[in-house]
Amino acid sequence: MKALHNRKIIAAAVLLFLLLVAGGLYDAGTGPVVLEFGMFTGSNWNVANANSFLIIDEAIARFEAAHPGVKVHYYSGVPREEYSEWLSRKILAGEEPDVFMVLGSDFDQFSSIGIMKNLDELIGQDADFDAEKYFQSALNTGKYGDAQYALPYETVPTLMFVNQTLLTKEGIEIPDADWNWDEMYDICRRVTRDLDGDGILDQFGICNYDWLDAVYSNGGEIFQADGKTCYLAEDSVVEAVKYIRQLNELYQGQKVAQDDFNGGNVAFMPLTFAEYRTYKTYPYKIKRYANFKWDCITMPAGKAGGNVSQVDTLLMGISANTRKEELAWEFLKLLTYDEEIQTQIFSHSQGASVLRAVTQSAEMEAIVQAEMEEGETVISGKLLGKVIEEGYTAPQFKKYEQALALSDSEIGEILENDKTIDSNMKILQRTINSYLQQ
Amino acid sequence: MNGKKEHYTDMFQWAMLVLNGIAVAFLCTFIYVTTNRIRANYDARDFLGRVMTIPDNPRTNLWLCLILFGLLMVNFVFRYFLQMRNSRGSAVSLIVEMLICVVIIYRLDFNYNGLLLLVFANVIAYVKDSKAKMAFLLLAIVGYLLADYELLSIYMPLFNMSDYVSYYTFTSQQWLFCIWNTMISLNIILFVGYCFSVINLQRGTIEEVNVLYHELQNANEQLSEYADMAEKMAQTNERNRLAREIHDTLGHSLTGIIAGLDACLALVDVAPQEVKKQLKLLADVSRDGMKDVRRSVSELRPDEMERLSLNASIRKMVTDMGRVSDTQIYFDGGGEKLEFGEDEENIIYRVIQESITNAVRHGHAGQIWVTLKRINGEVLLEVKDDGIGCKEVKSGFGTRHMKERIEMLGGTVAFDVQKGFKVTAHIPIRWGESYD
Repeated sequence: MKALHNRKIIAAAVLLFLLLVAGGLYDAGTGPVVLEFGMFTGSNWNVANANSFLIIDEAIARFEAAHPGVKVHYYSGVPREEYSEWLSRKILAGEEPDVFMVLGSDFDQFSSIGIMKNLDELIGQDADFDAEKYFQSALNTGKYGDAQYALPYETVPTLMFVNQTLLTKEGIEIPDADWNWDEMYDICRRVTRDLDGDGILDQFGICNYDWLDAVYSNGGEIFQADGKTCYLAEDSVVEAVKYIRQLNELYQGQKVAQDDFNGGNVAFMPLTFAEYRTYKTYPYKIKRYANFKWDCITMPAGKAGGNVSQVDTLLMGISANTRKEELAWEFLKLLTYDEEIQTQIFSHSQGASVLRAVTQSAEMEAIVQAEMEEGETVISGKLLGKVIEEGYTAPQFKKYEQALALSDSEIGEILENDKTIDSNMKILQRTINSYLQQ
Repeated sequence: MNGKKEHYTDMFQWAMLVLNGIAVAFLCTFIYVTTNRIRANYDARDFLGRVMTIPDNPRTNLWLCLILFGLLMVNFVFRYFLQMRNSRGSAVSLIVEMLICVVIIYRLDFNYNGLLLLVFANVIAYVKDSKAKMAFLLLAIVGYLLADYELLSIYMPLFNMSDYVSYYTFTSQQWLFCIWNTMISLNIILFVGYCFSVINLQRGTIEEVNVLYHELQNANEQLSEYADMAEKMAQTNERNRLAREIHDTLGHSLTGIIAGLDACLALVDVAPQEVKKQLKLLADVSRDGMKDVRRSVSELRPDEMERLSLNASIRKMVTDMGRVSDTQIYFDGGGEKLEFGEDEENIIYRVIQESITNAVRHGHAGQIWVTLKRINGEVLLEVKDDGIGCKEVKSGFGTRHMKERIEMLGGTVAFDVQKGFKVTAHIPIRWGESYD
């Protein structure tokens, strides 16, 4: 009798608990479904961008029309510089948006601590989704380890800026798309001159071209994909650093500054596709580079490499803790995979679409051409596609940013102080390896 | 005294419950507060760069763990006050408790697994069935070994409390670790103390049982002594009665007869007529004496024999004995009705009674066969059983008594110890003879 009584009490307690849980779930289930989207204001590419919301707004309008009862909410007004901290604070409190932009410098870290959702399953389940439509290099930036944790939204390759006016004045032809280090060194040597005869050089071959640009175009890798070892003492890297020293030696210790370039006194400078687009169009065209004609070509190929440059990609991912997985995936797909939305990148942003078909289309050329003055030649979609496709993407691992910064400052030191490259690169390799293996 | 010990055990259990509650609340609150602090100081990105992983949502975690621990406490209190010991209710309650602990430990990413010690302790307290106890304990031990942070963090990303502690200044870190480690150690100390008190309690119970057992044994011995004494007293009483009886009847008659015979001796030559008269008188006295003796003997007869015939008496005894001793007793009284003298009836009755008593008491027999029939002018009395028998016939079993009795009637008796115990007696009967 007593046992029966006890059982009744237990049953009542369990029932009460279930009711509470059910009530809580019901409460959470009512009202419109809100999908949170995290983005920053402004451009990812360090260029002015007033229209960053236009593409997103249109995508949201389309998404809400296709999914009645679903609202997409985004946080406006977070500048790019503050976005990383803003998102981190959200993540720490467990309030991160369902879908969010993720900076290249955060991606590996966020993937490693399990904030980003592994998209492989969603990709596998979605029959409409064909990963081949993306540029492979852009898609790879969203990989951490072997898994896809984010999809590319916008990509920006690095191109070589050419001062056409200067080269024409010096009687030098614009190099071809498949030019190499020797050709560039030759041009640089020829244009580096003291024009006014004051004993100080005032016309230069190249500026802002660093050892990393050289390594990428020399088929080199700095880190192993898993981030456990570095290849700083490999031939491809050592050759690249030596090439930089060779170029620097042309200037007899003088520093080439951005001002020299802006003044039209430098023949080459690496710049991003975003900068290319910004400074080719009104009103920025007038602010900079107004007094000379210029264009963009590929990077020169090293002895062991191709005309390869780094490709930067803005990624978007889904929170690992989202409760609206399906909707989040649909929205992410709309932003990154829909050709119409991706075409908007050329109209309203400065990067390039991550979809092959969009970037290499005639429509893209027409949009870019429309923003430029007549007579300006537009970079062809085919060339742009080739640069992006072949572009170098950095491996993703947790210590990447720190290890790269450490290597960069040490190599800067080696170049600055005329240290022996071969031996010092070996020492550096050992130092970085021990950091990576900590 | 046992009540006091039990009180200690309960106290340890309650202390563990409270301490674990504090530890869980401390951990969740600490993570929540630290998260807020990091956010307020805009150190979030920097912090994320230093951790393995972070909890999903510190606030939800805090509430969830507090609610779950609340449920755990309710469950504990229910079990404690409803005294659901060793019932199905307590098993369900323990399983619920184990599940809640697993969920809390999982939510805390295995940073605190001391809760499992609480489960251990409760299993020891509530599960009495040794098989179930072993199963529960095995589950808890395996759980405790597997739920180790250091082990699991090799295989899966788990947030680490130390990462959150390291956000504070060095001095604060020392204090935080100090508090935390004290709680963990205290929990272990309480658990060990609890185990000791349980062992103590159980040892106390065993001692108590031993003491009671001894008392019981003493009482038993005393009781059998009393029984012996009562038997002896009854024997003495009976002897006294017999002596009195003999003195009163036979002694009286004999005295009179002796006196009369003496008188006859004196008179026989003087007055033979007088002697004749006197002898007639003495014969009467002798007959009266004989009557008295008979009356005395009949007073010694069993009650049944007073009222019933021999066969009926034996049947009644067999039925009664069968009923009280859980033994099947079969009686075969032969076809014809046998007439015996009273003394013969008594002896036959007593021999059968003694044999059955022996078969039940010493032979532990399940079945007994009693046969009484007339063969060639003799009576054959046979009592056999399917009991354990005995190696050799000992006189202690009352067999000497039987032998004596039957020899009094001029009969013979034999005892057979193969296949149980068998008594066979041949008794020549004075058919129809009478004392008159």
